[in-house]
Amino acid sequence: MRSPILLLALTLLLPAQARAAGAVLVMNSSAASLSVVDMATQKEIRRIPVLREPHHWTMEPDGAALLVGDTVGNEILFLDPVTFELKRRLPISDPYQLGFSPDRKYLVVNGIARNQIDVYDAKTYTLVKRFPASTMPSHLDFTPDGGTVFVTLQGTGKVTAIDLRKMEVIWTAPTGKAPAGVMLQNGKLLVANMGEDNVSILDPATGKLLGRITTGKGAHQLFRSPDGKLIYVNNRIDSTSVALDATTLAAKRTYKLPGGPDDMEFAPDGHIWFTMRFAHKLAVLDPATGTFTTIDVGRSPHGIFLNPKAVASK
Amino acid sequence: MIPILDSAAGWLQETVLYPLLYALDLMQWEDVSFGWALFAVYGLVQVIVTFAVCLPLERWRPVETWPDQRAVLVDVLYTLISRVGLLPLITFVLFYKLQVALDGFLTDHGWVPPTLERIFPFLLGMPVLTFFLYAVILDFSDYWRHRLSHVFNWWYSLHAVHHAQRQMTFWSDDRNHLLDDIIGFIWFTAVALLIGIPPMQFPLLVLLLRFLESLSHANTRLSFGWLGERLLISPRFHRAHHGVTAAGLDSVNYGAIFPWWDMLFRTADFSAEYVQTGDPTAEEALATGSYAAQQWVALRRMVRDIFGRGGKEERKKAVLF
Repeated sequence: MRSPILLLALTLLLPAQARAAGAVLVMNSSAASLSVVDMATQKEIRRIPVLREPHHWTMEPDGAALLVGDTVGNEILFLDPVTFELKRRLPISDPYQLGFSPDRKYLVVNGIARNQIDVYDAKTYTLVKRFPASTMPSHLDFTPDGGTVFVTLQGTGKVTAIDLRKMEVIWTAPTGKAPAGVMLQNGKLLVANMGEDNVSILDPATGKLLGRITTGKGAHQLFRSPDGKLIYVNNRIDSTSVALDATTLAAKRTYKLPGGPDDMEFAPDGHIWFTMRFAHKLAVLDPATGTFTTIDVGRSPHGIFLNPKAVASK
Repeated sequence: MIPILDSAAGWLQETVLYPLLYALDLMQWEDVSFGWALFAVYGLVQVIVTFAVCLPLERWRPVETWPDQRAVLVDVLYTLISRVGLLPLITFVLFYKLQVALDGFLTDHGWVPPTLERIFPFLLGMPVLTFFLYAVILDFSDYWRHRLSHVFNWWYSLHAVHHAQRQMTFWSDDRNHLLDDIIGFIWFTAVALLIGIPPMQFPLLVLLLRFLESLSHANTRLSFGWLGERLLISPRFHRAHHGVTAAGLDSVNYGAIFPWWDMLFRTADFSAEYVQTGDPTAEEALATGSYAAQQWVALRRMVRDIFGRGGKEERKKAVLF
């Protein structure tokens, strides 16, 4: 029989790092739900039902609401970023990846299934312009002034740059097979080529290919560490996460994470939280030791949002 | 059970599908491929569960016994193709592409495809009730698809593959012409556009419904009683649809899961007999031919029907004979 006193004592004896406050929201793309995970206990506390297929999220510029896109459900959910309470549902066509321009003017929504890049007014959420995209617009990133958005076109191996001031395409250029993650870093555009084993380096002004960095088969997503010193590349086929030096882009360390690492978030205690698409789990990695623990969530977890101030109540 | 099956689908995707997609330069389909992995794993479990339950039932209380059961083997092939292998892949790609194209066209014209849960928000968080409502609507839609396949000569020429089997067993559920299956997918897609279909949101419940469909074809003397027969379709009820006198354009008991539509539209036959199955108007190749022969003969018959070159007359001759 488990002694409650013993459990309490063990909990109190755990190192402070393992009891980090806050909660994590996970988008279970094949379970039509969002998992709320308590960071301290590393347990799933509850599930929020959604219509069909939640994949990614973005935060309103003023931090008032967390927007989660349900692609097949054709709607965006507006959640309280602390309690995860549902505040509003907005019908929007195929919201896969989404992001606000840094100048707070526009919300850009990639419709991967419908081959469209939609630009919405960030205040009224009315459609300003739809760009037909050939094909499968996937991930996106902006220039710091919000004037340009870069979108990977997964179906045709290209990247496109759209001028959000003039509302016109600036260039569309080849990058590699099935490009996914895209990131503007030190004046260079980095693109993870999922159908290959590398990240392309492009000139953001022209789309000209400047070089490639080998990271691992199925290079999928790019994430910048909170201190800006590292860029993590998650490789879907090799099931690895490679930490690159953000300045030199040289590989510093490779973490083996079986189960298909996809999106990731950084916790204040230094741990990195990954969604593991094939394993239907989260992995919590200690980057110092390379060890990780796992947490059961819903089927095919994709996007992940971590808030140290969030409350994981039932 | 669900976590084990999901893990198996994840394993299939990680170790087989992903490397295959990578090798074939098809990684852009990586997200969609998980749907197929789920279909394949749950399909395999369907086959195993159906086999484990229906085979003892057929041995225990068979309606008919056959000294030579070679005609059943081709139905096993139909089942494996349909539930585990190629067909889910084609379905998935076809359904996905078709749904995206149509959804995109409609969305561009200001129509966001509705869903039951958006119309009735209280359904969110009630997965079993939601699934039940989807199942009822889909079953209603399928009743009419099936009934119409008995109305048009050209369509019945394809559907005759399903009815020609004289040795009907639980394996016979998936015995369909490929073109007939494709028509079914298009029909399903049209309904999906109207109410939204959660494809693999409720895989275990889909498994249960598919099991009931297989059970309804089983060669066993099994009735669900007066009330049960009016709630769910039993092997006895569906056997009447496959009866030799009900084959062709004027049949009974078209439903797949619920008998309610047959009751509502006066096509139900609740008589207690266990009739002989088969289609006397069908060419022998449709009953005992190979998979390829069945597909070819039905296709030829359909073409003749469309172009008025004697498909109907052939069937009449077969009846007189």
